Amino acid sequence: MLEVIGAKKTFNPGTINETRALQGVHFKLEKSSFVIIIGTNGSGKSTLLNAVAGSFFLDDGQIRIDGKDITRWPEHRRAAYIGRVFQNPFSGTAPNMTIEENLVLAARRGLFRSLLPASRRSLVDALKERVRTLGMGLENRFDNEIGTLSGGQRQALTLLMATWLRPQLLLLDEHTAALDPKSADQVIHLTREVVAREQLTTLMVTHSMWQAAHLGDRLIMVHRGKIVRDYAGATKARLRPDDLLAQFDEVRRTDQLDPTAAEMLRSRYV
Amino acid sequence: MNLLLGSLTIGLILSLLALGVYIAFRIFGMADITADGSLTLGGAVTAVLLLKGTDPVLATLAGCLSGAAAGMLTGILHTRFGIHSLLSGILMMTALYSINLWVMGRSNLPLLSVANLTDAGERLANLMIGPQKTMMLMGWEVTCRDIGILLATFAWVCLTAVLLFFFFKTELGTAMRATGDNPQMIRALGVNTGNMIVLGLALSNGLVALSGALLAQFQGFADVQMGIGMIVWGVASVIIGESLVRTRRLGLAITGAIMGAVLFRLLLAIALRFGLNPNNLKLITAIFVFFALVSPALLDSLRKRWGGTKYA
Repeated sequence: MLEVIGAKKTFNPGTINETRALQGVHFKLEKSSFVIIIGTNGSGKSTLLNAVAGSFFLDDGQIRIDGKDITRWPEHRRAAYIGRVFQNPFSGTAPNMTIEENLVLAARRGLFRSLLPASRRSLVDALKERVRTLGMGLENRFDNEIGTLSGGQRQALTLLMATWLRPQLLLLDEHTAALDPKSADQVIHLTREVVAREQLTTLMVTHSMWQAAHLGDRLIMVHRGKIVRDYAGATKARLRPDDLLAQFDEVRRTDQLDPTAAEMLRSRYV
Repeated sequence: MNLLLGSLTIGLILSLLALGVYIAFRIFGMADITADGSLTLGGAVTAVLLLKGTDPVLATLAGCLSGAAAGMLTGILHTRFGIHSLLSGILMMTALYSINLWVMGRSNLPLLSVANLTDAGERLANLMIGPQKTMMLMGWEVTCRDIGILLATFAWVCLTAVLLFFFFKTELGTAMRATGDNPQMIRALGVNTGNMIVLGLALSNGLVALSGALLAQFQGFADVQMGIGMIVWGVASVIIGESLVRTRRLGLAITGAIMGAVLFRLLLAIALRFGLNPNNLKLITAIFVFFALVSPALLDSLRKRWGGTKYA
């Protein structure tokens, strides 16, 4: 379904701010798999997601969806295959446009936009029906500007917008990190529901060890721009938040070992 | 009375400019200075074609399209070459000054001797009220020609506003608005934001040039200086309009921009009538726009100081 082959990306190359965000990432996603990505701050997990979404182009490597090479496709072209929910609840919706306008915009994701009226009765009714299932009462507020909604409501709508046309791939970039615990639970619940119902191939970045342990059927740990752990199947199912924290510690210890080891080698052999 | 009719007509003509500036300024959040050049371009192209004997409707349309082309170029400078939007506009405006001179051949083209759209206004008046030259309006004697032109302009502005409103409710139009509101979001929904900006600036400057084309015909000449400072006029109209309708929602904002343009023109006409030195006009306009821009924030901070915020 999704193939990332030897992805490399360096930001600000040749300057003191040089960041080698991706250093040869390699993985393959099966159809309808729900993959969780975790990693420390600056490990490159969000960069990885953005690389797949097309926010920037890779320095080296390849990205394929359904066998199609999309490495040089701009963001808006990939959108035909990819639905996205962002970390920032402000990123996924147009604040000065109404709920209805935002939703009908999403109903044309990746399709040609004509000079026909955007809000057609049948479409709006169908959207209202779906919004009602969120249980937030938003179906009665279609004429309100989205900017007046809370972060949780916006994320729920963004999720609905990203999945209204079934995407080949759903990208969730810490989409509950900016929410209060209650809203986060609600959005996670909705995520679970829609991913299961539509059998979506999903890539989800998270900071929450609880989410990492309880969601998805595969888990990838990223560190310093590389994949350092990859659990699937029964191994993934057995993972508990504490196990993940232990893994983090282990990765960090290996890190600390490197400079000391180098120092020791130098003192001995140079 | 004639002064009032003239001011109303010019106000309505400039409301097309205001609509153009509204698109760039409020929908895309860009102060697109191309307007200064494209207004003149519209006037110049139309004037030259009229002098060559082209049908007035075609000449006006050509003027409008020339402005759209200029806006498109500004958009391309901005999106394809990554030049800052303000600078793209300045570049285009500067280039247009020479282009306008080149189009016109000299700095001023009188149009009083050629048939143009104002004659259509006169015909409209004759159709409605008969063949007399003058009529009484609220106790004043006015020429039917002036009335006809005013009505025709009003009808045209209304039609443009309605078309614009419905355009911004279409699939393409909503995508354009979303581009200005949240480019990240609409890219993720598969829209090429660069194309939207190019198209939007074309639309914006097409309206501005249309305004210039009509203005040249109404005042009876095209002048290479006629566009200078027009962006400020447009912004002033949009802001006055917003303070009148007190919302940024689409339909009302469009109506507001038109009302703002007419009101602004009337205020200036009154000020000039009561002895304002025309040399000070641009200074007064600039000061006025300054206050219009800062007053909402100023009022907000005052409101906060006196307690009782809106979001408490």
